[in-house]
Amino acid sequence: MVVLIGTEKPKEEGHSPTDVRSKRLLIICALGALLVLTAFVAILVGTLGPIGPGIPEKISFSEAVNAIFTDSEYHWVFWNVRIPRVLLAGLVGAALACSGTAMQAIFRNSMADPFVIGVSSGAAVGAAIAGLLGLAAIIGVFAPPMFAFVGAVIAAFSVYMLGSVRGKIYVDSLLLSGVAVAAFLGAMVSFLIYFARQQYHQLIFWLLGSLTLASWDVVQILVFPIVAGAVVIFLYGRDLDALLLGEETAHNLGANPEFLKKLMLFVSALMAAAAVAFTGIIGFVGLIIPHISRLIVGSSHRTLVPAATLSGAIFLILADTLARTAVAPTELPVGIITALCGGPFFLYLLRRNSTGRDR
Amino acid sequence: MSLSVNHMSFSFGDVQVLKDISFEVSPGELMGVMGPNGSGKTTLLRCVTKFLPSEDGMVLVGSKPLNGLTPAEMAKTFAVVPQSSATDFPFTVHDIVMMGRIPHIGSRLSGESKKDIYVVHQAMERTNTVQFAKRIFSELSGGEKQRVIIARAIAQKPKVLLLDEPTAYLDISGQIEIMDLLKKLNREEGITTIAVLHDVNLAARYCDRIALLNQGRLEAIGTPKEVLNPETIQSVYGVDVSVRRDPLTQAIYIMPHSAATAIHKHGTRVHLLCGGGAGGIVMKSLHDGGYSVTAGVLNVLDSDYENAKDMHIQVVAEAPFAPISPENHAENLKLIDESIAVVVSPFPVGPGNLRNLEAATYALKSGKKVILLRPQEGQSVDFVDGRADALVKGLIISGATVVGDVEELLSQLATRRG
Repeated sequence: MVVLIGTEKPKEEGHSPTDVRSKRLLIICALGALLVLTAFVAILVGTLGPIGPGIPEKISFSEAVNAIFTDSEYHWVFWNVRIPRVLLAGLVGAALACSGTAMQAIFRNSMADPFVIGVSSGAAVGAAIAGLLGLAAIIGVFAPPMFAFVGAVIAAFSVYMLGSVRGKIYVDSLLLSGVAVAAFLGAMVSFLIYFARQQYHQLIFWLLGSLTLASWDVVQILVFPIVAGAVVIFLYGRDLDALLLGEETAHNLGANPEFLKKLMLFVSALMAAAAVAFTGIIGFVGLIIPHISRLIVGSSHRTLVPAATLSGAIFLILADTLARTAVAPTELPVGIITALCGGPFFLYLLRRNSTGRDR
Repeated sequence: MSLSVNHMSFSFGDVQVLKDISFEVSPGELMGVMGPNGSGKTTLLRCVTKFLPSEDGMVLVGSKPLNGLTPAEMAKTFAVVPQSSATDFPFTVHDIVMMGRIPHIGSRLSGESKKDIYVVHQAMERTNTVQFAKRIFSELSGGEKQRVIIARAIAQKPKVLLLDEPTAYLDISGQIEIMDLLKKLNREEGITTIAVLHDVNLAARYCDRIALLNQGRLEAIGTPKEVLNPETIQSVYGVDVSVRRDPLTQAIYIMPHSAATAIHKHGTRVHLLCGGGAGGIVMKSLHDGGYSVTAGVLNVLDSDYENAKDMHIQVVAEAPFAPISPENHAENLKLIDESIAVVVSPFPVGPGNLRNLEAATYALKSGKKVILLRPQEGQSVDFVDGRADALVKGLIISGATVVGDVEELLSQLATRRG
């Protein structure tokens, strides 16, 4: 043991046994509080209308608070437009970030995102077909989301089948199948857009992602699958930790890697498909939020999954608020905002992190 | 706890990787698993942990068969330390060691208990990794990482600890550090340990017993001394080795020579006069050059005597520390008569072995080619007040060839042969 003692460095601060748990609780509570605050502010911010005749106008904070809780002329707008919209932004942001966290763990690759197994391109084909056939006018406003959801599920399932051999999933071939299927479906979308003409603008808007479809109905449809999905991923957090050190290590630590990969793929693909169906392809959230959260709270999924989920909700609420207000009364697709804000911030964090590692 | 493996076989498709392997490990034993690349060592570990499904092999821990255990129960039975552990994700060392508690945390709803945190802290203390607790795992050195992974394995509280070449990517200090740690844990905590090892000398020094695999079969099992003998190593690895005992640790150690197949034997006889260890390199060079070598006169226990024995060279042997007797001198001259040339390595000459130089003089007189290897610069081999130097000088004057190294020696002999 002489060798060991010889290399021992002076002990750093004593490792208090409870600090891991209390740190986790603190992070989750802080993010939860921040989410509530962000949502509240987002509800209050923005132009009103145009509803019916009249020009959009701005109202002050106190007027807005007043309008929410009393029966004023804007009461209806807040409760049926603004609040469901902020809730939808929160739900979709949470779904994308949580699903992205799980995908990055399964692929053991921090460049993976919720769309890596073809969900977004499948949804785009579905939405484009619905748009081209003008189904929204025939069947109803939920026809495009339904088509998009079905397209996403079919695409994800095809990638899964192509990427597995005799029931076993090989993440490398899964990744490659995802790229191939996405490229194929991307070409199909371009083809469909080329023939869409009238629906062209609408399709582009969908492809860039936006929350204009928000309503209480949509929130009600999405809340259960997204919350349940996030809870399942959280409960398998320790298994995901083990999986990141390799499938054999996961096995030796008592996880079942094949089952884990299948369950996580299923849950996270479903969450992403549900979100994308109603909002279009909101990029970057599912990639950068897990990544940034990991830089801040570490990789342990019992902390990371809730932290990323809450951060995703906060981020998309902020991005959507910006999308609504930046060039009001016109609205930007929120996907443009997420990419514009997310990209540079992401690069900043990567740079900072890599210089810190240069020792 | 004891482990027994009964009739374990495994195939990848048509290739049978493990063939009917059976062995037992006693409680608290440190067993090494060795064998050439592709002999099935890692597969054996993977079959034991059921990461790979073995065919009809039965594994017992204690006296309990492992059939029907859940993955978590398996993980409480075995902990595995792989060759190396890499992840691009920023886990702290504490996170990594805490992973060892995964099989013990019963419910997905519950977090780590006080006990889990205590066990993790203790495991880090045992492996001297507490000071790394908050550091990022991927930024540690190879040896530090392995210590952390061993901490995780102990935190798992396994009945049997399995290691797959834990020192494969470590430098020499890391290797010793990890093996010392394993030995300490094995002795102090009585953890039954099975380690796949590549380095025969580490295995010989640290293992209680060694199981040697060859082409999927259990070739030999026993103490290092029983298993690691030149014959078994030659048959399994195809390499000629010498086995010695380390004077400091008393562990056996193995010195590889060369792959046995490469030598073209032409059998030309050369006699070597040597002693004190100077002749080892000459014996080996001549042997590898395809010559049939004899040597004399050497005292038993002389290191050149051991060198000759290792290479199965015929030697005229004298009793330890005794002067060369007339009988042995005559025997030496007889071997000289049977050779085409005599090589004199720069051996230390004392009153006891001065006769070896006289033998060289005899050889030169009877028309043999005599080749002297020059001693290293400034190194005197004469311990008989100039009598040895005088004899050497006489040899050179009478036509003995002097060469600087073994390569020159071989080319000199080759011209003689050709």
